[in-house]
Amino acid sequence: MTTIDNDSAGKTAMALLTLQGVDKIYRQGELEVRALQEIDLTVQEGEFAALVGPSGSGKTTLLNIIGGLDAPSHGSIQLNGTSITTLKEAELSDFRLFQLGFVFQAYNLVPVLSALENVELVMVLQGRDVRERRERAEHYLELVGLEKVMQRRPAALSGGQQQRVAVARALAAGPRLVLADEPTANLDSENATALLDIMHRLSHEEKTTFIFSTHDRRVMERAERIITLRDGKIVSDKHIGQESHEQMA
Amino acid sequence: MNRRHSHLPLGMLVMLSWRNIWRHRRRTLITLSSIAIGFALAVLMIGLNDGAHNSMIRNAIKLGEGHLTVQPRGYIEAPANHKYLTDGTTLQEKIGSLDVAGRIEPRISLQILASTASNSVGAGLEGLSPQGDQRADLLRPQLVDGTWIEPGDQRGILIGDGMAGKLKAKIGSKVVLMAGKQGGDSQAQLGRVRGIFDSRVDELDDYLILSDIQLARRFLEGEGADPALQPITRFALFLDDPDSLPEWKAELKAAVENDQVVVLDWREMMPQLVQFIMVDDAGNYIFLVLILIMVVFGILNTVLMSVLERTREFGLLRALGISRYHLLWLVFCESLLLSLLAVGIGWIVAGAVHLWFASHGIDMAALMGGSTEMMGTFMDPVIYTELSGERVFQLTLLIFAATLGSGIYPAIKASRVTPVEALRT
Ligand SMILES: Nc1ncnc2c1ncn2[C@@H]1O[C@H](COP(=O)(O)OP(=O)(O)O)[C@@H](O)[C@H]1O
Ligand SMILES: [Mg+2]
Repeated sequence: MTTIDNDSAGKTAMALLTLQGVDKIYRQGELEVRALQEIDLTVQEGEFAALVGPSGSGKTTLLNIIGGLDAPSHGSIQLNGTSITTLKEAELSDFRLFQLGFVFQAYNLVPVLSALENVELVMVLQGRDVRERRERAEHYLELVGLEKVMQRRPAALSGGQQQRVAVARALAAGPRLVLADEPTANLDSENATALLDIMHRLSHEEKTTFIFSTHDRRVMERAERIITLRDGKIVSDKHIGQESHEQMA
Repeated sequence: MNRRHSHLPLGMLVMLSWRNIWRHRRRTLITLSSIAIGFALAVLMIGLNDGAHNSMIRNAIKLGEGHLTVQPRGYIEAPANHKYLTDGTTLQEKIGSLDVAGRIEPRISLQILASTASNSVGAGLEGLSPQGDQRADLLRPQLVDGTWIEPGDQRGILIGDGMAGKLKAKIGSKVVLMAGKQGGDSQAQLGRVRGIFDSRVDELDDYLILSDIQLARRFLEGEGADPALQPITRFALFLDDPDSLPEWKAELKAAVENDQVVVLDWREMMPQLVQFIMVDDAGNYIFLVLILIMVVFGILNTVLMSVLERTREFGLLRALGISRYHLLWLVFCESLLLSLLAVGIGWIVAGAVHLWFASHGIDMAALMGGSTEMMGTFMDPVIYTELSGERVFQLTLLIFAATLGSGIYPAIKASRVTPVEALRT
């Protein structure tokens, strides 16, 4: 397992996530799309990192590959000590269940379940007992400020509230890493920054690592690290406000 | 790696499936009611069919040789006047000692030629025992002319209106009854028409001649039988409880069967009728196939539509870590619940329809234009639907099998959803 890379010099913690030489090539008949090219990336425990870049630059593809939803064409991915490219389908599914949290752009929730039940669902699948999952679900819904609307179904929640339920669901399951693909894309800027503030706060309070993609400037400003993709390549990787971050870690 | 698996408790499975099937309330209600109505209709038609067949069988047994028949071995294969039971007295004692719950009727059946000055026709002469005869009970009310024969009437005969027409016979007409003997000779007796019946079953009206058993027995004497031993062609047994047939058959076989004597049940005595009903039952299968199609398409359509609409949701669930297998179960459970509801509602509607027609009946005579005769027997004019436990089981099982069948495809389809593709919309 690889540890530190040059960017995080001075830190001795083991990396939570390491990508080495990751390529993703989509074939559509004769046509080949190189969605990702030779991606090397290391993310430490507790980071709050943004993945930015224009549409089509490969953000979704990268997040899907890190999340074990899609397989790379080449390269290796180590996540929390597991080489996920070697896992079988069913193992990957269980890996996602216990180690990862997901927040998508929209339609994150099961429509027939209330906010509370949606948050509980992943914990049900994890096999946690009724009491524990109920307590945790309520706790995390309070943390995202939704204690008053827990019994509502998604259709009765605003877009911003739905995204917050998704964040609560991701965190309540106790993941090592939360992946959020454009979580604010469908929100107005006020709701977008509010969601990011919640994610940022919880990332610190829960010591949970976040990687989220965005192309919204105001959202990017909340990040402690900005990884920029262009045409499937990482063209820049900057740590911002490193001081405060290192104090936390 | 620490293999921790995804869990899906039954309660959650059922709760999710239940809520999912009510997502499109109207669609689900339409599916359920169409299955229920189709099912009720099928149960009605099948019940009617079974009712008609059972009525035919009951009447055939009454007009025929009973639930069980004791007769000479080889008679059914090739009936002949010289095949008879020589010692009726002893046999009757043996059968009587079994205390069968029902009636035992000694009978003589002969194939003869009936002639008048005008014409000659082949006929079946049936000697009625003074102990009583089911056929007499059935035909006595159908007498259209003359009187019934008195017990001990040595010459009196009863004929159907069909035969009366052919022979140009009236009440009081003389009819010569002639029968071939085993050696090639023939013998004859003189009969006199006392009454004419019209049973509405042509096979009987054209062919049957009834007489006192004494008159018929003279032909057996002509074949060399000893009248002191009460020779007869057969005993017909009518059971009070037709369901007890297998037990009585076994007992009777043990008591009387030997090289000369055989015990047969009505199915063996009337293979054509059994066959006819089997063929006619094909009508039932058409209804079964109809419900099957309704259930399969109802469920397939409803569940498949909802699966196709929820691709994104399945992708989401798979991304969150639900296993393929649990997703498959989830969708399958929706089909299962839908069919449980369909069967439940179906049986309530079908049960009500059945109960109504089981007590009120349907006037088949009116529907069939008066005559309900068929295969030498007839249906009661009013048919009441009949539904056996076996049918209920069969129909319920069929619907469940259909559900299982139609639930598999949507479930597999759902479980094949890949998160990446589903989420990229
Ligand atoms: N399933 C696919 N088949 C073919 N090309 C794809 C597929 N998915 C993504 N791509 C291509 O890969 C590139 C990166 O896409 P994506 O990761 O969605 O970018 P982003 O999320 O940054 O907008 C784009 O050129 C896109 O057209
Ligand atoms: Mg994208």
